[in-house]
Amino acid sequence: MLTAKLREALICFKAGRVTLPYPFAPHDPAPGFRGKITLDPDRCFGCGGCANVCPAGVIQVRDAGQLLRVLEFQWRRCTYCGRCEEVCPEQAITMSQQFETATDRGDDMVMRLEVFMGPCQRCGRCYVPPTPLDRMDRTGFRTGSGGRS
Amino acid sequence: MASVLGVAAQVNEAVARKIGAGLRAASQGPPDTLRLVVAPEELRSATEELLRLRARFLITVGIDARPLSADYRVLYLFSLDGEHLFVVLECAVSPDDPHVDSIAALVPGANWAERECRDAVGVTPDGHPDPRRLLLADDWPEGLFPLRRDFPYDYRPPAAEGVAPVPKQPPEGASVLPIGPFFPVLEEPSYWRLFVEGETVVGCDYRGFYNHRGIEKLGESTLTYNEIPYLAERICGICGFIHSTAYCQAVEKAAGIEVPRRARYIRSIMLELERVHSHLLWLGIAGHILGFDTVLMQTWRMREPVMWLAEEISGNRKTYGMNTIGGLRRDLPATVVAKVLKVVDEVERESVAVRDAIVGDTTLLARTKNVGVLTGDWARQVCVVGPPARGSGVPIDARLDHPYAAYDEVPPRLCTQQAGDTWARVLVRVEELLDSIRQVREGLARLPAGEVLAEVKDEIPRDRIGISVVEAPRGEAVHFVMTGGDNRPYRWRVRAPTYPNLQAMPAMIDHAAIADVPITLGSLDPCFSCTERVEAIDVSTHSRRVYSRQELLAMSRELTLRGGRR
Repeated sequence: MLTAKLREALICFKAGRVTLPYPFAPHDPAPGFRGKITLDPDRCFGCGGCANVCPAGVIQVRDAGQLLRVLEFQWRRCTYCGRCEEVCPEQAITMSQQFETATDRGDDMVMRLEVFMGPCQRCGRCYVPPTPLDRMDRTGFRTGSGGRS
Repeated sequence: MASVLGVAAQVNEAVARKIGAGLRAASQGPPDTLRLVVAPEELRSATEELLRLRARFLITVGIDARPLSADYRVLYLFSLDGEHLFVVLECAVSPDDPHVDSIAALVPGANWAERECRDAVGVTPDGHPDPRRLLLADDWPEGLFPLRRDFPYDYRPPAAEGVAPVPKQPPEGASVLPIGPFFPVLEEPSYWRLFVEGETVVGCDYRGFYNHRGIEKLGESTLTYNEIPYLAERICGICGFIHSTAYCQAVEKAAGIEVPRRARYIRSIMLELERVHSHLLWLGIAGHILGFDTVLMQTWRMREPVMWLAEEISGNRKTYGMNTIGGLRRDLPATVVAKVLKVVDEVERESVAVRDAIVGDTTLLARTKNVGVLTGDWARQVCVVGPPARGSGVPIDARLDHPYAAYDEVPPRLCTQQAGDTWARVLVRVEELLDSIRQVREGLARLPAGEVLAEVKDEIPRDRIGISVVEAPRGEAVHFVMTGGDNRPYRWRVRAPTYPNLQAMPAMIDHAAIADVPITLGSLDPCFSCTERVEAIDVSTHSRRVYSRQELLAMSRELTLRGGRR
């Protein structure tokens, strides 16, 4: 009994100080951590593949007339799975390392991306098949870069 | 493989001999699954025959197949553990009179499964010993069955007033001590009414499923095959990897997708790392319930590096997002392998130190020896799984009985104890913890090179079934998938390990002291949940006493301070 208690005490003494000084010192997540999504508006060409695969339905795509496509990210619903990053053919979406995302303003949780589209006069689409769009359309499984590219 | 086919043929023959023309069809989808379509009136005889062959009941699956074949289907899943075979008894039930014979008298472990099937799909089990509502809320309208295909997934029935659970009558002279619906040692909000005489528990009643969120419905109505893994891994707050693995394996099995060897090894390694941190967490909680917070502090400190490791490997400490149909989304980089080995070495050294310290602790022994005894026989009948089964001498382990991932090449050691008490469950888990570390090391040493994802080029065919079991830290989890069109399952069924294990509770706390109830519940390892209160009602006077969570914990701890003397 006494030896058991002494052993337990020894384990506690050996442990030392465990608590990290966060938030007074920064605590960076491990490389590869999936944090808040970031958008590069110059790269996005509006294919909507991200909206197609998002399990939480964060991304809504709608067209305003023939020339403007609006992508709205209601990322309060985001589960940080990184599927959008994986399927984006242009690396327009990436998962950042940012995890401190608490806010008291609902507007902070919405991102809006407006993409100017130039539809093909003949077919209404822009590209010669097979395009990345065809890959998005396939049911079953869609391949990806492995999340870390 | 040949032997599995041979066994399947024997089982098929045995059932055919017993029920004759009652066996309407037999087929083998995936090689390890025998599907027998039986006439509803022969269900009991077929079940008897399977039990004679030492089959273990897993779960029932109710399917609304009216759009396919104008009937309901009720599937009874069994496992022949030694023979590595699943047997499905399938009954087609007419929509005009949806009734089926109850098998709960033959298999006590089928009690909840049948009630759930009635609540969700509306097929009533005739002759059920306890036909009260299980799954649905008490104010859910009669005659509305959420898992029927014509029920919209986002329908919200109007709230009703003045409804309450139907209580079981306590034995004469006993008082009622309610625990819950919110209580810290329970995995989810659930409501236990203990029938007590003085300090002794003489019976109990259960009402649960307050946390039912209808994810199976979502899986077959709005999500697609590749979106479900992210929902599946959120079923459990501790061991998410097991659910996404089990789901993906079920679909892969149904569709005949071959997963690359490297991906199978990494799945095994992740599953074992998860067991390491889950068992350390459980050990801490068990200590906390007994008032032995040193164990809580130290084991949770020890498990933290494993969580960080998970973050580095997968991108998140808990919701890994790694599994996908066909393999994994992320590979295990060579740079991380060295870190994994370093962390598991440290965890092993410290776990051994903790084990050596607590085995000699007489207070701990007094609080756990002969407490919450589950006999091997009853464990088999209620179909208990995981450490509670192995602690009662039932030698089942999904990793050995139905090898998946890389367990065929890196098998676990079967850890069993005979006593069936809380101490036996502690020993089983500590032994498994150390064995998991061995498996992580062996898996990393033998990790093959190559791809981690098999690209699925074709559509997943319809109307195939896949059953996948995964040995979670808490026991065996079962996922059943029947594939459908429109890129999603027709039916997805999940059975978590606590489902059968909680059903063993009444026997485990029979004639126990009230102060032993928290640790007995805790020893089943239901995940730790919310803060709450407990109230006692004296039946004769209707006087009411409210115990706070602190008071109940204090009762449990006071017993520890007395050195377990009752």
